[in-house]
Amino acid sequence: MERNTISRIKDFIIEHNTVLIFVVMLVFSASMSDSFFTLNNLSNLIRQIAPIGLMSFGMLLVILIGGIDLSVGSVIAGIGVAFALLSYEVYFPVAFALSLLIGGGIGVITGYLIAYQKVAPFIATLAMMTIVRGLGYLFSKGAPITVGVYSESILNLGSGDVLGVPYVALILVVVFGILYVVLHYNVFGRLLIAIGSNEEAVRLSGVNVRRYKFWVYVIIAVLTALAALIIVSRTGVGTPNIGVGMELDVIAAVVIGGASLSGGKGSLLNTLLGVLILGMIGNIMNLLNITSYLQQLIKGIIIILAVVFQKYQK
Amino acid sequence: MIEVLGVKKSFGGVRALRGVNMEVKAGEIHALLGENGAGKSTLMKIISGAISRDEGVLKIDGDEVYFKNTQAAKEKGIGIIYQEFSLVPELSVAENIFLHQLKNHLFIPWKKLRDNSRKLIAELGFELDVRKKVKDLSIADQQIVEISKALSEEVRLLILDEPSAVLGPAEIHKLFRTLRALQKRGVAIIYISHHLEELFELSDKITVLKDGVSVATVSTGETTKDQLVELMLGRSLNTMFPDRTHLQSAKHREVLFSISGIRVPGSNDPVSLKICSGEIVGVGGLVGSGRTELLRAIFGADPQSFKKVTKRDAILRVESPKAAVRSGIGMVPEDRKQHGGILECSIRENISVANYPKLNKGMGFIRREEENAIVAALKEKLNIKMVALDQALKDLSGGNQQKVILAKWLNTEVELLLIDEPTRGVDVGARAEIYQIIHDLAESGKAILMVSSDWEELLGLPDRVIVMRKGTICGEVLKKDLNEEILLRMAIGEEYK
Ligand SMILES: Nc1ncnc2c1ncn2[C@@H]1O[C@H](COP(=O)(O)OP(=O)(O)OP(=O)(O)O)[C@@H](O)[C@H]1O
Ligand SMILES: [Mg+2]
Repeated sequence: MERNTISRIKDFIIEHNTVLIFVVMLVFSASMSDSFFTLNNLSNLIRQIAPIGLMSFGMLLVILIGGIDLSVGSVIAGIGVAFALLSYEVYFPVAFALSLLIGGGIGVITGYLIAYQKVAPFIATLAMMTIVRGLGYLFSKGAPITVGVYSESILNLGSGDVLGVPYVALILVVVFGILYVVLHYNVFGRLLIAIGSNEEAVRLSGVNVRRYKFWVYVIIAVLTALAALIIVSRTGVGTPNIGVGMELDVIAAVVIGGASLSGGKGSLLNTLLGVLILGMIGNIMNLLNITSYLQQLIKGIIIILAVVFQKYQK
Repeated sequence: MIEVLGVKKSFGGVRALRGVNMEVKAGEIHALLGENGAGKSTLMKIISGAISRDEGVLKIDGDEVYFKNTQAAKEKGIGIIYQEFSLVPELSVAENIFLHQLKNHLFIPWKKLRDNSRKLIAELGFELDVRKKVKDLSIADQQIVEISKALSEEVRLLILDEPSAVLGPAEIHKLFRTLRALQKRGVAIIYISHHLEELFELSDKITVLKDGVSVATVSTGETTKDQLVELMLGRSLNTMFPDRTHLQSAKHREVLFSISGIRVPGSNDPVSLKICSGEIVGVGGLVGSGRTELLRAIFGADPQSFKKVTKRDAILRVESPKAAVRSGIGMVPEDRKQHGGILECSIRENISVANYPKLNKGMGFIRREEENAIVAALKEKLNIKMVALDQALKDLSGGNQQKVILAKWLNTEVELLLIDEPTRGVDVGARAEIYQIIHDLAESGKAILMVSSDWEELLGLPDRVIVMRKGTICGEVLKKDLNEEILLRMAIGEEYK
């Protein structure tokens, strides 16, 4: 009987490892610093994680179908620069929409290469990563660009709130909600998981697999563009050298959330927890004035922990 | 040599084995028979150390053993050929056969590896290019590699879990010859098959498993097919094949699909055929004669340069599986694991995957109640054994997986169903059910084109049989003229008079 209880507890820990790591982090953070659970810090935390969160949601879809997208960090820079340039020409809503459109355009190219030209996702997105970064430098001539007068109102997006809830948090929640419904109640989500498990069987069931793959890369690119705009809204500049290595943080969040890089397995809620875990590490260490070198180390350890737990999962 | 006493095993809530006794002596060929899901593979996995038992005793040469892993079982001389392949697709034939020995070398001794593999395969009576990657082989050839791999080590007990399911009659014959030679050397053999004729031809003893319990062990010479069927199903089986005699004279039936200009890889002559509504057409031929390629080409599974498909004289463009399904063509592929089933996904999703356009209530949202009703009805109709519809397909026994994949097409509006090996790995009871389902489909006006390596099935079910050889159609026989000899002669290329 006692054995049974122990093994059940073990199963529970393995099954819900992401939640547990999250709770541990939360308790740890709250006990280490009084300022952690203040409204100010929490809304700050949300603002910090929102971009990574949006990108991770997109990355989850990509990873579900067994793909990968290395270009997201570069897209952050490229779209930031694009918006900053546009802000000297057009008003905010137009610049905003055009930036998302450019992001979508990048996704269309990536998706076309992967879905229709059968280029391996790693290679295609590696190439896009370099290309988009290069374009960012070319257009910005290598220097950060301050947002122009026509679209200065983007700064309200970064700092504003409704009833104390930051706009940015609302965006995150809305995107989360939409994707949650898509993954759980929609054919699109079901087919992504099926494609990740056995692409050929899905194709031979008469499903146009390529179209789904294509759209997944478009979606992640648009979400990344949205993330880029959030970053611009906080800094007020478009910077061509921002976001280097960001793709790794994004992939890490998805992996901590229990997704399998070979596809077919992953959860949106756990991905959000993964994002929060990574965000809290940064947040608490900043509050405690710990160097970012140590942050790197701890992030790495948490990734290993999460993945080792998952190994024991059925 | 090996004794199994009161072995039990559960997976979560599923009691796969509820008390099995079995004894196999050295030099004995012992067949294991039982319905899909009776627990045969589970028992074999326990004997070979792949999974652990919950209760019961496993004795080898009188000593109780616990195998921690398959390596431990191998050291005791137990070799197994799993029902689901365990080869490495990206490695060559030779490397796969000697995979277990590669770790002893710093550099791969290519020449020795290849020579030894060739020798092993030749001893079995086959010939294969040992440099080829396994993924480029046909399933039958992969099975030959599996067998060679098992025999590359010194075995005292060889377990074969449905080896014949993927082989044609000629290959099965050679396999039997090899097994008898092993038997003479004192090797004990456990042989699993759903084909009763095979058991009568090969085995000394037969143990029957029903719902995880060993209900009887009989000497092959002292039993009959009917007795075995009763033991395993708990009821007798009157007819295997539905009666279709009243349909065969119907010459006036309309041609539903007409297909021409298909080129099967490795042949220059294009293939054409016509199929009527309500007709079941069988495709016979040896393994590798291009039958699977023919079905895949009709279904648009591989890009084809030229092909003409018409339905009731309207020209269809079938350049992809999606277009095929839209034109009313469905396909049950030969390879269940690679092409047929989405193993990690649920039974529900596997059944619905071809039906989403119909279940869509707009914007890709699914009509849940309708889906549940359809899936539940199909489960009943096909008598699929499962715990819940949300169970992953991979947790079902092989035969039940096949039924799920068949079920997928039954809720779509297919008019031509292409079936590659309809009853591969399916038990006798379920086989009769599947034949009835195919018959009912035809009765409702659908056309069926089925490839089969099972001669009994090819003789029993179709209204006519097309025989393929080297990528072309070499002949066609109506049911009334059909017998095994004619089929075999046509398949190997002797003149048919
Ligand atoms: N890993 C697993 N998890 C849950 N259930 C399982 C698992 N493996 C097998 N089962 C269940 O155990 C039972 C016995 O399965 P098994 O594969 O041994 O049947 P079998 O006799 O080999 O059938 P078949 O003739 O179809 O190959 C089935 O009900 C099956 O669904
Ligand atoms: Mg089995």
